Amino acid sequence: MNGIKILTVLRKELTAGLRHRAASASMLMFALTALACMSLALGGSPLEPNVLAALLWIVIFFASTVGLDRIFEDEAASGTLTTLKVYADAQSILFGKMIYALISLSALSTFLLPTFIVLFDCPVAEPPVMLLTIVFGLIGLSGAGTLVAALSTAASVKSGLFSILLFPIVLPIFLPAINLTSAAMAGGEISLTMLIPMLLFDAILLVASSILFDYIWN
Amino acid sequence: MIATALFTLGIVAAVFLIVPPAEGLGNLVRIIYFHVPTAWLSVIAFFTSAYFAARYLRRLEPSDDESSARAVKIGFVCVLLSTVSGAIFSKLTWGAYWNWDPRQTTIFVLILIYGAYLTLRAAVNDRRTRAKVSAVYSLLSVLTVPFLVFILPRMYFSLHPTPLINSSGSIDMDRTMLAVLLAALADATLIFYRLMRR
Repeated sequence: MNGIKILTVLRKELTAGLRHRAASASMLMFALTALACMSLALGGSPLEPNVLAALLWIVIFFASTVGLDRIFEDEAASGTLTTLKVYADAQSILFGKMIYALISLSALSTFLLPTFIVLFDCPVAEPPVMLLTIVFGLIGLSGAGTLVAALSTAASVKSGLFSILLFPIVLPIFLPAINLTSAAMAGGEISLTMLIPMLLFDAILLVASSILFDYIWN
Repeated sequence: MIATALFTLGIVAAVFLIVPPAEGLGNLVRIIYFHVPTAWLSVIAFFTSAYFAARYLRRLEPSDDESSARAVKIGFVCVLLSTVSGAIFSKLTWGAYWNWDPRQTTIFVLILIYGAYLTLRAAVNDRRTRAKVSAVYSLLSVLTVPFLVFILPRMYFSLHPTPLINSSGSIDMDRTMLAVLLAALADATLIFYRLMRR
């Protein structure tokens, strides 16, 4: 693994991402459509924090699958995966792409979260806990998402496969994230130690992805 | 083969003829002799699949991939049987088929993982690639097990009867019932071993 190569892969991803805006645009529009759909259907009726937290994470999960599944797909389709293989080692590519995934998911959340708060008139009693929960959740999603994207590239039937594969893997992050987000919305007694299991599973996912990626790539 | 069949018949006979109706549960208790062994097998099959997946990635032998896939197929059938029998038991004792009790969540996630694994296998055409990606997925999904088994059930209140191996280290069960249940578990493991060797 090489820091400079990771940065170069990241720069390449960012340039490609900015040049072909379709992926990020579809991710944002998917999030907006899902939000509008839920908000319209509920007609502004007041919701409990646990329902709101669940809705928020469902949108985050499905919107991220719309963008993340293309991490290796575009290169596989245009036949440039071999060039990438020649240029950098597996670990630099994995971490370069993972950081790119995290950046695009953070951009998505920067748009999604305020829109969600406005549309659902959602209370946020503990903003720092909410932000940390979302950051830890996104780290897990991008870590597992990058590896699962590499797996699903090999598949002949792709539609829906990515979310089917990703959901069970990120569930240990998803469930505590919903609990913590709900607590951060409602306020009251929250200790930051509740974030530790999430952080631990993020670390496990990153290490496992790093080990397993070598087997897929080589 | 015949020995396994006779052993299984013996267990079935014991469940209906020897095991006494349980206090509070009556004859419903007989469901657990089907429910617990199938749940046990679905977890054993999960780890067996991960073991063969790791072996495949090390040695690249197609037979390891086949064993890993076979364990998942057996595990998938068992997890479905266990879920259905559990839901029936739940309806008859707690009044609802499903209420996302932590143990129901755990078993449901196992169904999702098994289903995702089989979908991935069906979606990849090339044999070597299929073996590689399914092995990686099998190992990745096994990471969630400690969370599902140890952390999740402690996060929420559960109605599920205490497992045999519980934190207090005691076994609250009639001796005959316990002996038959342990024999049923041994029988299930034997059937799994036979199916894996075929």
